[in-house]
Amino acid sequence: MSDDIKNYFNGLLHKVSGLYVIQITDRDGVPLLRVSNSQEKNVDFALMPSFIPTFTTACDQASKLGLGRNKAIISMYSNYQVVQMNKLPLILTFVGAEDCNTGHILALEHQVDGYLEDMKLAVTEP
Amino acid sequence: MDYLRSIWECLASICNCWHCTDELGSQGIEPSERTHLLADSVNQSPALRRSNSADLSNDYSQSLPKKDDQNALSRLVQNTAINMINVGALDSHTLEHQEYTDRIKLYSQRLQQQWNNIQHPGFVQKGLLKDVPNHQSYLSKGIPSDDTAQMRVFVQKSIAGVLSIQVDHREAVVVPFEIP
Repeated sequence: MSDDIKNYFNGLLHKVSGLYVIQITDRDGVPLLRVSNSQEKNVDFALMPSFIPTFTTACDQASKLGLGRNKAIISMYSNYQVVQMNKLPLILTFVGAEDCNTGHILALEHQVDGYLEDMKLAVTEP
Repeated sequence: MDYLRSIWECLASICNCWHCTDELGSQGIEPSERTHLLADSVNQSPALRRSNSADLSNDYSQSLPKKDDQNALSRLVQNTAINMINVGALDSHTLEHQEYTDRIKLYSQRLQQQWNNIQHPGFVQKGLLKDVPNHQSYLSKGIPSDDTAQMRVFVQKSIAGVLSIQVDHREAVVVPFEIP
């Protein structure tokens, strides 16, 4: 069954041109599932254990600034873009090329939601 | 004057905290950065450690007069700690390597257990009779000759209808632009 799910996420990865990685972690950056386009560039910087907890903390602290709670943070770099979605207790991370269609990445959210509900059970206490 | 202002600010912050408590309560069981992950050995989440102001209130517990007051005060301290913007908290939030690997193992075990019980949501049944439950029983029965005859009539009529379609040519399909 886990192979089916990996295949499904691989299918999603190939739906969006220029998308390198889809990763699901807990809020501390511990990975539950990761699919990547192995032929593409090395994007490990965005998947380091310290990168994802920073997103969690940034969301938490930024919500106190008066703008309310955000759902996603999109970080644009010169060669990459990183889209992180707040699905607490999980964090969904997409890494793509700088010219990858960000709207297409955001649209994947609905196709992943069904799986996330099941994965949340694996992370939280019953 | 400054003394009065400080009292006023203190009262305002307390009111804010009460307001926030209501907000937190109304959110119900919505998961947040402080929701507990798995219990036991893997509950050393940095996010929890950062916001754990219970230690703070325990430090001052000796100087507090009564238990109710103590609870109220500790709740106040906790809410204030939660609502305070703390950019310094962005530092030192990495997990210990051992705990990191332990959690990976634990999560993969639990996911394996769950995925064995879950119907794959992306799995789509293929076939003409996918909507029909227990289609074997229908397929095993013989088809009545009336139904066959009726289907033949329908097919013959539809073939005759398709053959009778004619294109009535009246004007040219491609019209040239009249450029002066």
